Amino acid sequence: MTAKFSSGLLVLIATLAFPALAGAAEDAAVAEIVRKSNRAAYYAGKDGRSEVAMTIVDSQGRTTSRNFAILRLDVEDGGKQKFYVYFHKPADVRNTVFMAWKNVGKDDDRWLYLPALDLVKRIAASDKRSSFVGSNFFYEDVSGRGVEEDDHSLAETTDKHFVLKNVPKRPGDVEFSHYLLWVDRVTYLPMKAEYHDKNGKKYRLVEALEVKEIQGHPTVTRARVDDLNSNGHTISEFIDVRYDLGLDESIFSERYLRRPPREWLK
Amino acid sequence: MNFRRAITVYCADRPWRTIIATSVLCFALIAQIPKIKIDTDPENMLSESEPVRTFHNQVKKEFSLHDMIVMGVVNDRDPDGVFNPRTLKNIYLLTQKIERIDGVIPIDLLAPSKVDDIRQAGLGAVRFEWLMPEPPETRAEALRVRDRALDNPVLKGALVSEDGKALCLYIPIRSKDLSYKIASRLRDETRALAGDEEYHITGLPVAEDTFGVEMFKEMAVSAPMAGVLIFLIMLFFFRSFALVAAPMVLATLTALATMGLLIGTGHTVHIMSSMIPIFLMPIAVVDSVHILSEFFDRYPAVQNRKETIVKVMDELFDSMLYTSLTSAAGFGSLAMTPIPPVTVFGVFVAFGIMLAWVLTITFVPAFVMVIGESSFQRLASRKLPEGKSPVLDKGLRALGFWTHDKAKYSLIASAIVMVLSVVGIHAIHINDNPVKWFEEQHPIRVADRVLNRHFAGTYMAYLVLQENPGEADFKKSLAETRKDLERRVDELAPDVPALPEIRPRLSEILEAEAGTQLQKGDWSILALLKTMERKTAGEAEKNPGGLGRAWDETNIFFNERKVALQTFKRPDVLRYLESLETHLQASGRVGKSTSLVDVVKKVHYELMEGNKEYDAVPQTAAGVAQTLLSYQNSHDPDDLWHLTTPDYEKASLWIQLKSGDNKDMESVAELTGRYFRDNPPPAPLSFQWAGLAYLNVVWQDKMVWGMLRSLMGSFVMVFVMMAFLFRSALWGLLCMVPLTATIALIYGLIGFAGKDYDMPIAVLSAMTLGMSVDFAIHFLQRSRTVYARSGNDWKTAQGEMFEEPARAISKNILVIALGFTPLLVAPLVPYQTVGFFLASIMAVSGAATLVLLPALMRYLEPWLFRKFALKKGDRP
Repeated sequence: MTAKFSSGLLVLIATLAFPALAGAAEDAAVAEIVRKSNRAAYYAGKDGRSEVAMTIVDSQGRTTSRNFAILRLDVEDGGKQKFYVYFHKPADVRNTVFMAWKNVGKDDDRWLYLPALDLVKRIAASDKRSSFVGSNFFYEDVSGRGVEEDDHSLAETTDKHFVLKNVPKRPGDVEFSHYLLWVDRVTYLPMKAEYHDKNGKKYRLVEALEVKEIQGHPTVTRARVDDLNSNGHTISEFIDVRYDLGLDESIFSERYLRRPPREWLK
Repeated sequence: MNFRRAITVYCADRPWRTIIATSVLCFALIAQIPKIKIDTDPENMLSESEPVRTFHNQVKKEFSLHDMIVMGVVNDRDPDGVFNPRTLKNIYLLTQKIERIDGVIPIDLLAPSKVDDIRQAGLGAVRFEWLMPEPPETRAEALRVRDRALDNPVLKGALVSEDGKALCLYIPIRSKDLSYKIASRLRDETRALAGDEEYHITGLPVAEDTFGVEMFKEMAVSAPMAGVLIFLIMLFFFRSFALVAAPMVLATLTALATMGLLIGTGHTVHIMSSMIPIFLMPIAVVDSVHILSEFFDRYPAVQNRKETIVKVMDELFDSMLYTSLTSAAGFGSLAMTPIPPVTVFGVFVAFGIMLAWVLTITFVPAFVMVIGESSFQRLASRKLPEGKSPVLDKGLRALGFWTHDKAKYSLIASAIVMVLSVVGIHAIHINDNPVKWFEEQHPIRVADRVLNRHFAGTYMAYLVLQENPGEADFKKSLAETRKDLERRVDELAPDVPALPEIRPRLSEILEAEAGTQLQKGDWSILALLKTMERKTAGEAEKNPGGLGRAWDETNIFFNERKVALQTFKRPDVLRYLESLETHLQASGRVGKSTSLVDVVKKVHYELMEGNKEYDAVPQTAAGVAQTLLSYQNSHDPDDLWHLTTPDYEKASLWIQLKSGDNKDMESVAELTGRYFRDNPPPAPLSFQWAGLAYLNVVWQDKMVWGMLRSLMGSFVMVFVMMAFLFRSALWGLLCMVPLTATIALIYGLIGFAGKDYDMPIAVLSAMTLGMSVDFAIHFLQRSRTVYARSGNDWKTAQGEMFEEPARAISKNILVIALGFTPLLVAPLVPYQTVGFFLASIMAVSGAATLVLLPALMRYLEPWLFRKFALKKGDRP
């Protein structure tokens, strides 16, 4: 009787606990995918640089181009980072600099240097989902969205990809209800992201069009973002990508905004 | 037996066959009506290929401008107006709902939670964020939203009212013909919100689309009501239900069959063509009233319906033919106007008039033959009352004596009236405003008043500017480019040794491209620089190493030069635009204008710590470019492309007007033109207008002059026809007198009343001409017959003219004038106008015919009848 009752209890406990256990294991697996993907996408090497040729195409097919160099330095792997963006073209924004310190758990610090106005300006973070210099890329696409800002779950595993569903923890701060992320199962690079708005409509698409291995790091060398609402899109080409250059952290300071580190900028 | 009588007899002898044949013909046309396609867009007043319209559409596309529904929110109960947490929350929730309405373009929706704001954020920092990212919780937060909006010159007066009490949402829609549907959805949504605030919906697209919808409702109400009233009045005059049914059936068949033909031939039913039935009804009834009146008077003596109808038709045939022909000519002349819907309207009304005539001479005699005998017994029993006649008859007789004996007075009075009319005509204002097609109390009119009191204006026009260089400009720029390029190559040669090497090839490309452009007459230096930028980039890619580097440098040169010359990055051009805006604003004729300059200045000012000194255009083109680059870090960087194009070669200046009156738009256009003439711009700028407010001006202009020309044309045509009908220029002229007097008096009255000469009134001029000649034709035609009958004595003849013929005319006046009174209370102003016109045309032309004509004839008797007397043998 007692034995029977005990075994009955065991069964009950098992049924209650097992899905939870299975869930925890899955959560751990998902967290690992998220972590690896974040590293692959934003933390290759200790630092890095790239020339970027950006072409913004509006719904009428009119194009605007921007050429700039990006320098990146990881202060801590998977954590704090610093970015320095220097504009080459169009000629009237040459020497313009955009700098960002990416923080974890608090707002990023951002600066803008406008040479023609001889002005250094801090940009107070409001939200990161505003345009990056008029393109369809968001500031957040460039610096990376904090992994802690969303709840992640594995929606599907295909031959090549883990498909993650990401739901914002604070839906009021963002314009999407969720986004799906296709993570390459080999390189862990995010290959595609689909954003769905609050009516459930897919309205934004970010894709890696080309991946090359550079210094052992699989690197996206061509990316495209489509705004399905405005029918505009932007293509970025990453040229002359190099990692582990030994960039000095002092470059990423207000002082250097007016005095660009020419040796790293082409 | 002549041809005229043959028709009547033929139809009267085979009544059923005639009725069936005419009905089949009509119903075949009426069967087309279900295929109806409605088009209520006044834009279609201009043909698709009209330059201003193609330009308007091009501008809409190029600057991603959409037709907009304007929704104003006003709260009179809260001391802070709408800027209280509760109202703002409602607006926030409403915005979310609006975004989801099908047909709304969410990306360009202007609402507090959807517009970006730039502001100071502590020391040395600026912040870009939504004006109202979420509904405020406290009064202080709500007022902050207001203050920030008021501090933004782009939003002030547009999104937020200048008094800081009201808000306006601008809802862009995919197509204008969705506006009524979307506006209704909006009304439902606002009704569901509990709050003290009121919501007002207006804007030209809503007004235009709503007009279309209500117009069709109106047709279903006013036209049948007019029909019933006409029927009742005729019944009063002619007593016989069955007899009176004939003109009613005829008018209805005519109106429906004409619409059937219009629809069947693939025409859309436009605002203009929807009025065809209301125009045809009175015209179709007029002839029948003449017939009935005559029939009614004769039948008791003859006591035989066939004999009576044959006699009646004999008497009236020519008059009816000619009145129909002149009316048809009046409307047909509209075909000559340059406005497609008016052309269609004119042609189909003309068709309808002739159809009505055909039915009058075939269907009516047949109908008379098949009416039940009882109707006639009542008529037959009606004694001809000698000496005991009705009021109308007595009055007419008295009038007849008076006009003969006191002809002098009637002529003097007429002359005075005419002089006054001419004065009135000179006072006419040509003006139109589709919003004013609604009655004062209509929600759209109310919204229009409320919102234009609070805001800078709900009517939009766009002034599009672009550089329009000449050959000399191009050659000068080219020479400078050549020189600067040489200098650059020399300067850089020490660092880039391959530069001198590519010099010949570079020069070759430049000259070839410049040559091509010169040949094409394309004098845009920017186009040349763009080509050169592309070509040098291509060369840089093809050539490796040092050569590539050299090409790269030249590419930089052309890029630099291009961006420095881009028209709307040039500080001097922007400052010119700024002063133009100031000038327009100072005139008081413009509620508000918005341009690239306002954005540049606002961002520059905020970047410079909110220092008023920097509330100005930056000193250099690069300063402008960098200011704009900062601005583009916002949520919707494409907002910039509503004001300029990505190549900065064109700019659009948004003009908000408080009134949709064409005369106000005209005056702004005129003011702008003068400004450009008096103040030469720093670059060869040209400008062009777009926007609904301006489009309305263009079609109004075409309408007014087109109508005037067609009126003149038909005036001459009617005179020729009359001279032909009477075989005499003098008679022809005489016939033109009542019509001239009518037109002059009616338009004179419009001038004195201060009523604007608008689209409906312009169209009605054709109606005036067509209808006011009718009575004169009947009167003169019958005067000749009567004159001959009464022994060539005008005094006797005139006495007889004031019996049956005058009665027919008077009854017609009363039937039409009273019959269309329901239109006077219609909620749509053009319908009221039609009602007023019909009554006036009838009254004035009737009076002119009965007072002025006999007076003139008395004095002209020797000339009129001498000629006629010679000819009288020709006619029966």
